[in-house]
Amino acid sequence: MTAYALRRLAQMLPVLLIASFAIFAMVYAVPGGPVAVIVGENASPEEIAEVSRRLGFDRPMLVQYVDWLGRAATGDFGLSLHSRQPVAHLIGERLPATLQLALCAILIALAIGIPVAVASAVRPRSWLDRVLSGWSALALGVPTFWLGILLILLFAVELRLLPSASRYVPLWAAPLEALRSLALPALTLGVYVSGVLGRFLRASLIGEARADYVRTARAKGVPERRIVGLHIMRNALLPFVTIVGLMMANFIGGAVVTEAVFTYPGLGRLLIQAITTRDYPLIQGCILVILIAYMLINLAVDMLYAWIDPRIEYR
Amino acid sequence: MSEALRSLGKLLRRLAGRRGPALGLAFLALVASAATFAGVLPLDPLAQSIADSLKPPSAESWFGTDELGRDILARVVYGARTSLVTACGAVLIAGLIGIPVGLVAGFYGDWRDSLLMRCVDVLLALPNVLFAMTLIAVLGRSQAAALIAVGVAGIPGFARIARAQVMALRQLDFVTAVRSFGGGPGYLMFRTILPNILSPLVVQAIVLASIAILLEAALAFLGVGVPPPTPSWGEMLRTGKSYLYEAPTYAVLPGLVLTLTILSLDTIGRALTALLDHDEAGMPAEAAGGRR
Repeated sequence: MTAYALRRLAQMLPVLLIASFAIFAMVYAVPGGPVAVIVGENASPEEIAEVSRRLGFDRPMLVQYVDWLGRAATGDFGLSLHSRQPVAHLIGERLPATLQLALCAILIALAIGIPVAVASAVRPRSWLDRVLSGWSALALGVPTFWLGILLILLFAVELRLLPSASRYVPLWAAPLEALRSLALPALTLGVYVSGVLGRFLRASLIGEARADYVRTARAKGVPERRIVGLHIMRNALLPFVTIVGLMMANFIGGAVVTEAVFTYPGLGRLLIQAITTRDYPLIQGCILVILIAYMLINLAVDMLYAWIDPRIEYR
Repeated sequence: MSEALRSLGKLLRRLAGRRGPALGLAFLALVASAATFAGVLPLDPLAQSIADSLKPPSAESWFGTDELGRDILARVVYGARTSLVTACGAVLIAGLIGIPVGLVAGFYGDWRDSLLMRCVDVLLALPNVLFAMTLIAVLGRSQAAALIAVGVAGIPGFARIARAQVMALRQLDFVTAVRSFGGGPGYLMFRTILPNILSPLVVQAIVLASIAILLEAALAFLGVGVPPPTPSWGEMLRTGKSYLYEAPTYAVLPGLVLTLTILSLDTIGRALTALLDHDEAGMPAEAAGGRR
């Protein structure tokens, strides 16, 4: 298993190298190049030359890349152009907020998605299945930012139960306050993901129900409840782990829209602020961190999958 | 080719016979014709009148007015133009790059396959929104940048489907027959195989159109999409969100039109997929006839 993990990590390296080079090189694609990014487009030539020499932009690009990558590997992404704070510090502040939101959203998605999928898969094509499949389609089709606005209108504007703008409060510090702040953004994301999970789990449950071992169990006279709960469910949940993991990985940066609706201080909103203020060191740092987290979670999911399903060989 | 188009028409007629997809088609037709003939309608998306700002829906302005007193319905209609132009442009960009990439990768299946598909994988290394945002960070904010970002994000979908389809067809008799008559790789890929995989590609185009409209709206909502004053549904949701207390319908109605458009495309896409899966058994016969 360790060898497998190491091999997978080694396979990640080329993609990471290509992607990191693309992220590094993006400032060179900006009109005026990296120096204009720092001194502004209207700087005098002397100013530009001075800054290039001082910051080492007059060296060959590849040398600069190796230098940048070396520092990034030690967690040094440079200073934010806007706030003059270390990029790593800014990211470190936002990461827990994003993880907390992602976790709550996944829990809500599981709480809605699994019962929906099981109820529709037990009797495919029944009226209940049609209603629940319609729910999944709706959950998938409604844009999260519109759903978020509707939830704010209902719970914050009309009922005045929950705040319309969410703050980040650590769950362990003040659980109730944290849940009040998290409720709407987590519900918005959770409903969307429940659509993904519900549709996927329904298909794999129906697929498993046709398997030979289910027919054997029925022939032996195993009670239906036991067949569904023990035999089918266990096998159908295997691929499900992958989807849950993928969603989790997606949330690290992909919750940016939901974070914007609720002005939640997550990593995605940091990136949006960085893009609107053209803060390139911050953009590069955010994307690199999101990319690495995304790849690591994917790896963890594959390992977990191989661990819970002994039929899969580590090759 | 015309045979393929005719079978597509047949598919459309079968769709129209079912309730969900028929409703979807009708709504899309309404949105598309509103977008196309927006200039003929008595609607001005840019006319401001501060005295009439943030009015609720009324007989004169069905959707109410925005913070500058502009007619929201007019902006929704012109916003449909932005959405549809982005959707069509994105499908075109993604298709023109993605389909040839998938064809070549699946047809040869050697180092060309590995190389091309690794490049496609790099595009998948980030979620759609982030990828588009990164491209816009480099290109600057403009309508063209939004369109390119959404289009490039759609390349992997086309490439993967085209590749899988080619791999399924390349060993079939009708391909071998054309090969034995001396058909070269280009002829085989684009004249022999491509016409026979049009149906799944059309389904993918519909799926992508829905993703593109959503992505364009999301980018505008985040403030990095099509720049103002061009009307965009996402931009309207973004501004409307600031006036939830004063004018709740401002953000709700454009969002409703956006949601119905996406749901319509999704319903049609899923119904088409189901029909195609159903027809799978009869496909080789249709495929053989669809060549000319």
